[in-house]
Amino acid sequence: MDLNETSEESAFRAEARAWLEANVPTSPLPSFDTEEGFALHRVWEKKLYEGRWSAVSWPVEYGGRGADYIKWLIFEEEYYRAGAPGRVNQNGIFLLGPTIMEVGSEEQKEKFLPSMASSEIVWGQAWSEPNAGSDLAGIRSKATRDGDDWILNGQKIWASRAVWADWCFGIFRTDPTADRHRGLTFILCPLDLPGITVRPIAQLDGDTGFAEIFFDDVRVPVANTLGEENKGWNVAMATAGFERGVSLRSPARFSEAVNRLIHLWRTYADPTDTALSDAVTDVWMQAEGYRLHTYQTVTGMLEGRPIGAEASLNKIFWSEMDVRIHEIALQILGPEAERMEGPFERWVDGFLFSLSGPIYAGTNEIQRNIIADRVLQLPKGM
Amino acid sequence: MKFSFTEDQRLFASGLRDLLANECTPAHVREAWENHTGHLPELWSRLAEMGVLSMLVPESTGGMGGTLLDAVLLFQELGRACVPGPVLEHMAVAAPALANTSWGPSLVDGSQIATLWVDNSPYVAHAQVADLVLRNDAVITGFSSTDVHGIDGGRQLFTIAGGTESTASAQVFGLAASDVMALASAAYLIGASERMIEVAAEYARQREQFGKPIGSFQAVKHLMSDALLKVEFAKAPTYRAAWSASTGASTAVRDISMAKALASEAAYRASRSTMQVHGGIGYTWEADLQLWMKKSWALMRAYGDATFHRRRVGASVLSK
Repeated sequence: MDLNETSEESAFRAEARAWLEANVPTSPLPSFDTEEGFALHRVWEKKLYEGRWSAVSWPVEYGGRGADYIKWLIFEEEYYRAGAPGRVNQNGIFLLGPTIMEVGSEEQKEKFLPSMASSEIVWGQAWSEPNAGSDLAGIRSKATRDGDDWILNGQKIWASRAVWADWCFGIFRTDPTADRHRGLTFILCPLDLPGITVRPIAQLDGDTGFAEIFFDDVRVPVANTLGEENKGWNVAMATAGFERGVSLRSPARFSEAVNRLIHLWRTYADPTDTALSDAVTDVWMQAEGYRLHTYQTVTGMLEGRPIGAEASLNKIFWSEMDVRIHEIALQILGPEAERMEGPFERWVDGFLFSLSGPIYAGTNEIQRNIIADRVLQLPKGM
Repeated sequence: MKFSFTEDQRLFASGLRDLLANECTPAHVREAWENHTGHLPELWSRLAEMGVLSMLVPESTGGMGGTLLDAVLLFQELGRACVPGPVLEHMAVAAPALANTSWGPSLVDGSQIATLWVDNSPYVAHAQVADLVLRNDAVITGFSSTDVHGIDGGRQLFTIAGGTESTASAQVFGLAASDVMALASAAYLIGASERMIEVAAEYARQREQFGKPIGSFQAVKHLMSDALLKVEFAKAPTYRAAWSASTGASTAVRDISMAKALASEAAYRASRSTMQVHGGIGYTWEADLQLWMKKSWALMRAYGDATFHRRRVGASVLSK
């Protein structure tokens, strides 16, 4: 164990810091869940790509730096420290990209990865359906084979970024006779094809961060299948592993939020209120614990111990921590916490956003079931 | 940056686990409770032979020359097996602190037993079986002890009186005895918590109600998962604290406090949830679970409780 950075890691950190300091927009961009904000975030992603910072852990040939996970974490720390914009193409770069690298064909890698790294193509996720949320295996949207094409029919919902995204990745039922988890296929689909209707859904904050997607005889080439036909569940679970594991919510995000919370506490809170200072200390420890846990996980991955079902622990931990950080901030803000706009809107908006964490990417109740079944080896229930 | 243990560190810990699986079963722990010493002399000899008791004593004085990072997985294994007696006190503080004194050799080979009296506590754990008590500034021998009936039969509590004092220092690796014990206890509590969760998971697989194993019910699954969550997220901070303590990092005391606060709360949660999963049998003397529960309730308060340590972390991170 050596928790000091190597000189190479320190040099990487310094390079990232210098580039971010020179390039991060001086005033925050509008939310990427607005049309204007989405476009500006795409411009920012292009800039990141040109500096080769958009996908640091990817191989060089696809626009990355071949950085290992430790360096990726270092980059994330610098990214949040710099107050850089949110990642509008994170569905692509952090979820779909690694999945394509794992199961995609060489042609698919060539076709999809560079345009993903540059955000020429921004990706939306199309997994959930009105009757397939936590019970994802209940998917009904169909893909029917017609020569070299799939014909897609059905409805997806809660499709993140789909309002302005260019492509989506979805799971469709291809063998209606197979068991629930079998007979599903992972398909990549442009969102501007005939037969596709995207209906924005306003989130709790009023912005349209997700959408319904209706597929009405949409024709896509069979070449857009990711992984094997009827093996889409396995492909999706690989993606979900990344999402719940380390990639979706890097520790730096919470360390940075807690640093802002401590600043808020120092500026506005009554320092003799020990219940409050205990609460702030507690979330500092949580963020620090999550950071350490992630470094431990990532070292294990580098040493050949891949992350498994315990990724579900991470998802519960960061999502509940995020809610807690924001609850404490609103407590400190008192009457200001009632305002949706004003000097503290980032905290109020952040609180609303944090409430989505325990729900999306598999509700925390589902995660608890996964931990119980696969880590603790308890008998299957339902 | 590399957050993992070496092959040697892991092998030594798994060797200790194997030893304890045979020599420190719940039946052995009960024996230590029931003979009112809270101590297992045969196990003590095995731990001395294996080098566990002298892990932190420099090689120049006959020990294994290990660091707290080398010892942290051992503390955890001791907790898994709920090892009774003054092992942590002897191993983590007394033996290395007194290595260069005339007591050194007998503490290394385990022929004499040491315990600690720190934190201005009115009580001294394990005093009855100890040949000497190390206080912050002195070694006390020839004292008399009075049992005050601690909750954990493997950590019997006493007041002591009389005896002869000789000047000594309880500092180890530049840290106060209570801080080293906070780290050792944190790791021990993690091991104890892991074991409680394993025992309860096994029970939940076997015990049937409504025609099904109770572990198939979501209410039980979620209790268990939440208990595991707290333990898992206390581990990395505890290992980091051991690293900080071993490398003389300026944050060592803060990091130890973070570990002890998190491990204490994780152990308490584990004790509550696993007892609940056991139902009525969990409230009996007969169920082995009580061995770890009571150890947890003792150690979560010893050497600074979660509130004490959280506030020490707060004093460090909230100050401007």
